[in-house]
Amino acid sequence: MPEKEAAASFNLFDAEERVLADAVALRGRLADGDPELRTGVEALAEAYRRSVREQRRLVKVSDRLQHQLASVNQELVKRRAQAEEALARLKEAQETLVQAEKLASLGALVGGVAHEINTPVGIALSCASHLADATTHMRKLFEADDIGVEDFERYMETASDTTQLILGNCERAAALIRSFKQVAVDRTSAERRRFELASYIAETLASLKPRIRQAGHRVDIDCPPGLMVEGYPGALSQVLTNFVMNSIVHGYDEGQSGRLSITVDEPAPDLIRLVYADDGRGIAEEHRTRIFDPFFTTRRGAGGTGLGLHIVYNLVTGPLEGQLSVDSEDGHGTRFTLVFPRQASGSESPVF
Amino acid sequence: MENLMIAATERSPEVEFDFAAGRLSLKGESYPEDASTVFGPIFAALERFLEQVEGRDVRFDFNLIYFNSSSAKALMNMFQLLDGAAERGVKIEVNWFYAPDDETMQEFGEDFSEDLEHVTFNLVATGD
Repeated sequence: MPEKEAAASFNLFDAEERVLADAVALRGRLADGDPELRTGVEALAEAYRRSVREQRRLVKVSDRLQHQLASVNQELVKRRAQAEEALARLKEAQETLVQAEKLASLGALVGGVAHEINTPVGIALSCASHLADATTHMRKLFEADDIGVEDFERYMETASDTTQLILGNCERAAALIRSFKQVAVDRTSAERRRFELASYIAETLASLKPRIRQAGHRVDIDCPPGLMVEGYPGALSQVLTNFVMNSIVHGYDEGQSGRLSITVDEPAPDLIRLVYADDGRGIAEEHRTRIFDPFFTTRRGAGGTGLGLHIVYNLVTGPLEGQLSVDSEDGHGTRFTLVFPRQASGSESPVF
Repeated sequence: MENLMIAATERSPEVEFDFAAGRLSLKGESYPEDASTVFGPIFAALERFLEQVEGRDVRFDFNLIYFNSSSAKALMNMFQLLDGAAERGVKIEVNWFYAPDDETMQEFGEDFSEDLEHVTFNLVATGD
């Protein structure tokens, strides 16, 4: 039998219909029989007929529900795939933004260092220029064979003063470049090494000094000298930079000068506690639980990316293998407490 | 007799049986885990009501957006009950509401009303 015909002749309720036909025939055979029996068979056949109709409808209801379920499932699978893709894209974008934010803060650091180096270089330059003028003058006198004792004494004094100033300021510039070079290399290479904590904090803060001075703040650093740490100094430098920049940007009103402090101690052997605090306006209670969330900012549209403290959190719990907590009260400053091992196990990914 | 008012749950419809006014209504979704807990009280009240309303006008609104198989069977039983009462002389009007874009609900209304001989049955597309 061709398929189409087979399909057309198929009847889901074929057996039921045959039973019904048999019942009608039986009823016919009872035409002259017991009326009670006849009515009974009639009622039975009617009830069965209704039951078959109901069954057909129920099958239809059930099929419809299955069909709806299937399309809902299909939609769900599609939506889920879309959501997963969107999430993946979002994560990628977040990663890019985090990297951009880190570079931006490195940019701020470079700007600060450039500003800082400008002063000694400028002084050295004007001293050198002054010495050059004095020497030209001396040469003229010498060629005219007209050098007096006083001229010579004055020139000697000038030469000694200016060379001293040039030396001092060049040394200062060189020291600044050296310390910045280390910070910049640490920031970008994520290399694990041993470093002396106190001087590393001082170097990082030195790079930020122009920004801090411009805002009129004071920084107190209290760190035991000679405390050696083995880990990722770049991560620590980034953390401190973000803390300081946060205090400058968020902590104080325009023109209000504050006091920032970094205090380090060892609560247990091989454990370091670093407390960063400012005495600014503090963090509102409703924001406190969200400050480490990515993209949380109270200054969107005013330059805030909401990534600063998120990066801090990731660096502390990641490469530094430590813990981070925040204490703050409205109007009474903010304290971040970092506790991390003196020696990082290095099991955490050092990529940052 | 006392009215039967049951608030909708996530899986059962809102029941508003105002017996004094002769206005009954089922509204919402119906896919209970146990059909008897939902439909038991409804049938008990409905059966008692239909026994004592001969000659009166009764209006029953069905405004369902989703139901499962056992609810469908319960609805068909309800229709048979209503048709029986109508045959005995109760004037019963059933309104089957469906959203204009819900062909399924419209077809279920058409199918379920096939056996109604004495009830006035209206298929009503809901507004908007």
